[in-house]
Amino acid sequence: MRKSLRALVPIAAAAVPFAVLAGPASADTGTSYQTTLNALNHSSGSGMATVTVHGNQADVKVSWSGLAAQFNGGDYPHVQHIHIGGQGACPTIADDKNNDGVISTTEGGPAYGGIGTTLSTKGDTSPKAGTDIKIAPAGGSTDYSRTITLSNDTMQSLQAGTGVIVVHGLDPATLSKQAQKEKSDLVPSLPLAATSPALCGALSSMPSGGVATGTGSTAGVEQLGTFALGGGLLALGGAAFATRRRVSAGR
Amino acid sequence: MRNRFAATGRRGALTLLALVAVAAGLVLVVVAVAAQQSAPRPPRAVGRIDPSPTAGAAANPRASASADPVPAVSGPTSTPLGASRPVRITIPRIGVRSPVLPIGLADDGTLAVPQPGPDLDKAAWFQNSPTPGQPGPSIIEGHVDSDQGPSVFFRLGDVRPHDTVRVLRRDGVTAVFTVDAVRDFQKRSFPTSVVYGGDLHTPQLRLITCSDFDATIRHHVGNEVVFAHLTSTHR
Ligand SMILES: [Cu+2]
Repeated sequence: MRKSLRALVPIAAAAVPFAVLAGPASADTGTSYQTTLNALNHSSGSGMATVTVHGNQADVKVSWSGLAAQFNGGDYPHVQHIHIGGQGACPTIADDKNNDGVISTTEGGPAYGGIGTTLSTKGDTSPKAGTDIKIAPAGGSTDYSRTITLSNDTMQSLQAGTGVIVVHGLDPATLSKQAQKEKSDLVPSLPLAATSPALCGALSSMPSGGVATGTGSTAGVEQLGTFALGGGLLALGGAAFATRRRVSAGR
Repeated sequence: MRNRFAATGRRGALTLLALVAVAAGLVLVVVAVAAQQSAPRPPRAVGRIDPSPTAGAAANPRASASADPVPAVSGPTSTPLGASRPVRITIPRIGVRSPVLPIGLADDGTLAVPQPGPDLDKAAWFQNSPTPGQPGPSIIEGHVDSDQGPSVFFRLGDVRPHDTVRVLRRDGVTAVFTVDAVRDFQKRSFPTSVVYGGDLHTPQLRLITCSDFDATIRHHVGNEVVFAHLTSTHR
């Protein structure tokens, strides 16, 4: 370090508290993302998700309801992921390349990208756990809350605005005859319905801090001119009375 | 004699002048006082933010911190609706009936606000939040005042728990919300996760405006937030 630069260190250090004070102060540290989860593939569900990042940790909350509840006599497992590296968008029916009426997970890939993080209920959160139905939320609704370690890839995608939350698992009865016979593009032992996307939401930044919804135009004293004129006239009246009294006294 | 008459004449004129000046002055002061308008001061905290602790395990326990010991607003939470943009908001208690436009984030990452022009005094819905009636907190904001004077949420400080807020959606469904709580937050410690997040399961509504004008810095330093949950829907 050059001497002249070294001399700057205490100054820079002294400036730090001010930089901290000037920053967007908020009770909640960390960066937050949010999305609504809207139905894909004629699923009937809906939900919302938030991701709050502190360092490489993320508090992930995913709440949804209205999805298929039963599968092979048990609770329907709905694998869910943060998809990354795509367009940061949810697919549309235009992405149904094989025209079977279902946007498969693969067909949705260009829109939402690949799996970055698996939002499992326990254990592995890497893409490898992506189709592990034993650690997926099960049933027609969930209120998922878990603190997980984010990979660099997922972190970068969130910052770039290309993180997308996808919840998988359709009610087979809502699929076309053709699609009901198809196998999953992810897990060939499962039917297409089991792994196809049911809910999707592109994550975006939660608003930071408060809201600037006022200018204070009504907070001070309005009609100052009127007040001044009124006050002036009262003063004039007072002066006139005083003069009148002097005139009387001098009689 | 002449002198006394002159004095009497002067006295009469002065009396008249004094009376007229005082009367006119009083009228002007009364007019100016009547023209004074200041937004009602929101209470620091009334009601409980999470309407039904049993509804949704995702309810943030911190969300109800610092609440008054007021019993939670009861009443069932209505079934969530699908997505449809809000077009009009009605708050009978404070006489609000306003169009609602969509709005995004400002460059600094805060919620953008309606800008000077025809939309300045309209309410605005944060377009990345749920539409009113969808699960989670739907965000609608409005100015308390603008350079033109009082704005759409001027009297939001008068809203109290149990009040009704209606939002008409583009699909023709009116989502009816019941107010659970009112909070006055300082902007420098604004609890974003409580306001924009919290219970993601229950369809909720948050109304936001400015509060706590600080005359020394000519800025509002607070944000009033009204917390409500969906209690019914109708066409
Ligand atoms: Cu996925």
